[in-house]
Amino acid sequence: MTEPVVRVDDLVTEVGGRRLVDGLSLELRAGQVLALVGASGSGKTTTGLAVLGEAPAGATVSGRVVVDGVEVAPGRPPRPGAVAYVPQHPAAVLNPVRRVGGVLREVAERHLPGPSRSRRIRRTTVSALVTDAVRRARLPTGPELPRRYPHQLSGGQQQRVVLAQALVANPVVLVADEPTTGQDAVTRAEVVDELRALAAEGIAVLLLSHDLDVVRALAHHVIVLRAGRPVESGVAARVLSRPAHEYTRALVAAQPHVATVITDRAADTGASVGAESDDGAGNAERLRVDSLVAHHGSGRRRSAVLHEVDLTAAAGECVAIVGRSGSGKTTLARCVTGLHAATSGTVTVDGAVLAPSLRRRSRDDLAAVQYVFQDARGSFDHHRRVLDQISRTAVRLHGASPEEAADAAMATLRRVGLDEEHARRVPHGLSGGELQRAALARALLARPRVLLCDEITSGLDTLTQHGILDLLAALRAESAGTLVLISHDMGVVARLADHVVVLDAGRVVERGPAARVLAEPAHPVTRALLGVPEREPDELIAR
Amino acid sequence: MSLGHYALRRLLVGVLQVLVVACAVFLLTEALPGDAAVALAGDNPDPARIEQIRRVMRLDLPLAERFWDWLAGLFRMDLGVSLVSQRPVAAFLADGLAPTLVLATLTLLVLVPLAVLLGVVAAVREGGPLDRAVTTVSVALHAIPEFAMAIVLVAVFGVRLRWLPPTAVGVGGDLLRHPAVLVLPLVVLLARPICSISRLVRAGMIEALDSDYVRHARRLGLSTGRVRLRHALPNAVAAAVPQLAHTTDWLLGGVIVVEAVFVIPGLGTALVDAVAARDLPVVQGLAVFFAVTTVLVNLVADVVGFRLSPRTEVVR
Repeated sequence: MTEPVVRVDDLVTEVGGRRLVDGLSLELRAGQVLALVGASGSGKTTTGLAVLGEAPAGATVSGRVVVDGVEVAPGRPPRPGAVAYVPQHPAAVLNPVRRVGGVLREVAERHLPGPSRSRRIRRTTVSALVTDAVRRARLPTGPELPRRYPHQLSGGQQQRVVLAQALVANPVVLVADEPTTGQDAVTRAEVVDELRALAAEGIAVLLLSHDLDVVRALAHHVIVLRAGRPVESGVAARVLSRPAHEYTRALVAAQPHVATVITDRAADTGASVGAESDDGAGNAERLRVDSLVAHHGSGRRRSAVLHEVDLTAAAGECVAIVGRSGSGKTTLARCVTGLHAATSGTVTVDGAVLAPSLRRRSRDDLAAVQYVFQDARGSFDHHRRVLDQISRTAVRLHGASPEEAADAAMATLRRVGLDEEHARRVPHGLSGGELQRAALARALLARPRVLLCDEITSGLDTLTQHGILDLLAALRAESAGTLVLISHDMGVVARLADHVVVLDAGRVVERGPAARVLAEPAHPVTRALLGVPEREPDELIAR
Repeated sequence: MSLGHYALRRLLVGVLQVLVVACAVFLLTEALPGDAAVALAGDNPDPARIEQIRRVMRLDLPLAERFWDWLAGLFRMDLGVSLVSQRPVAAFLADGLAPTLVLATLTLLVLVPLAVLLGVVAAVREGGPLDRAVTTVSVALHAIPEFAMAIVLVAVFGVRLRWLPPTAVGVGGDLLRHPAVLVLPLVVLLARPICSISRLVRAGMIEALDSDYVRHARRLGLSTGRVRLRHALPNAVAAAVPQLAHTTDWLLGGVIVVEAVFVIPGLGTALVDAVAARDLPVVQGLAVFFAVTTVLVNLVADVVGFRLSPRTEVVR
């Protein structure tokens, strides 16, 4: 208990003259959770990798890292298996051609306790180790899972499989990199429970996260990083409730918070939005979706994703579509845009029915509905300058000349807070948040009547999220376009939405004014998304 | 779709492909200039004798009728008889198949382990002297056409040094009894495929070794050898499977140049002889056989590829 399991002294990691981590020291004892908090690019992952004895390509590292009594440096990794690492994107570290069970057994073989006796005893020991790890990682222990390939697992299961692999090796430290990013509230609560249980078993947990709710629920100590430099550290409860440094205060304030914002929205929209005014109350109905049915796959693998979904949104209104992953939110949005051809049902914008497929829509219809994707980086061509790609919207959809289009694109980019310098770069030169702004600009340039935003803030840190949400709110106020927001983050929904539609397994299970749905959720799924039924609101926070 | 379903559907499509090839082959060979009857009648033929031969060989019947007869024969596995020797076409196939099969099997048995080994060794020491040597030699080898290499090898090892028999003359179809005869043809057959396949394995291996899952396997404490063999290699080999299928198909078609230089009576030789003699049923029978092997080999390759990269959803 006295000797720290991980000890980092004055760690400096430098790449090409830029310091990724600048003078970080920390101590982590068995059974404790230490959280490194900060925006993306603040050096969290680099620190986590340093504990593994790894460094980014071309980096120079100085300082001292001791893990479990062994000094660790790049090229001198800790004792194999001593440090468990669960990266932010677990899919990348799972071998696509190896079954889950095969790899688990392989790792167990390598970490058998004691000298090997007979083959049969070894085999039963391996099985016992694997079963134990699978159970501790909260995976199903049945015969199904070991036979699966990684691509047959959900994102959450992949994360747990990576965890199980590490647990087989009996680690003393767990480095968990953004374990809750992009997960819905229910899964997040599960991950928190899982990590807490591991800490209780005596594993030291180094939590790298920008999700302050999770940090609050788990961590004993917090170190706040900004551009690689620790700006504040201390006991979690103190740092998060009474932050001393202004940067920490900004981080805490930027956290979208369901409870406080609901009342705000209720105050400013309570009068205008009548109770259950789902049929649009006769005023300018902008978007209407009627009994939409959609399928994925074909032939015998065909499965229904949406069952008779209805949706209406008035001009200038913001409708949020919420639901767990796999509930059909994105498919619904893709059907509205025409990226996915619906099996039956209609999509109407300002009274005109749109063709199911994008290819058969007129330029005006295309301009009317615009889509901003979750993965902004993936929605840009890596080799062309941002400005060129954005101005193409105006050329294609409004027939503008290239010069006019470039001017219009630049004006829109300025509106979302980007300047000529950003516009001249290729997408690689922009951060995730900047690129998401550029994607918004590209959609806005089409002057859409309906703008669909699909999880555009997940994967961004809280400060960047905050900026994007402010921008959306401002845009909505000035342009009176209809916004369809797809999100599993109820904080985001509370901030922007007038109406909420809750999807579950392709069916609308609840709908109504945002203030009502968020304050008094009627359906179990809604309650689960809000984190209401299984736990009291503060239980997640109180620990 | 399960693998079984996929294979079955591919097989049905394959039957269709073979049928299309059969029709095309029949029509094309019929369109060839020259006439078997004229060729058979010898020098200074008597027109009456040519007519007689035509009648006996049923060459005077309309094209459609002969095509129908031939197709019906195909379904009974009856490929017809040779115009020249009156032997069944199936007998020609059986004779030629034995040497071709021996050569193809031996080539593959040497090729696969050697090419994979070279690819892995080069990848593991990427940029090192061994890698550069393997790369240089394989690119150079790949640039030499089979016939040139065959002739040089025969001249050096067969004629000048007399280490190995220059050709298989006198051995007949039974090549396995005289292994020395097989050495030079094997070397020639191996030279180019070994380059292409080892290059593919090397590229796949380098990519796999640099992947996150291999890095993670090392973090989990697995030994270097295991990581290379069980984690990187399966991903690397997947890329080489289609090329291997292509090579197998090429070998089963009887590599005409190699058979000609070494006088091996394989399928390639049978085809060349039949074309020269305008022996249409034999040409047609061989073409249908080649179509069948091509379809089957590619089917097997796709099934193997599917096992090696389970991620790929089977398309069509």
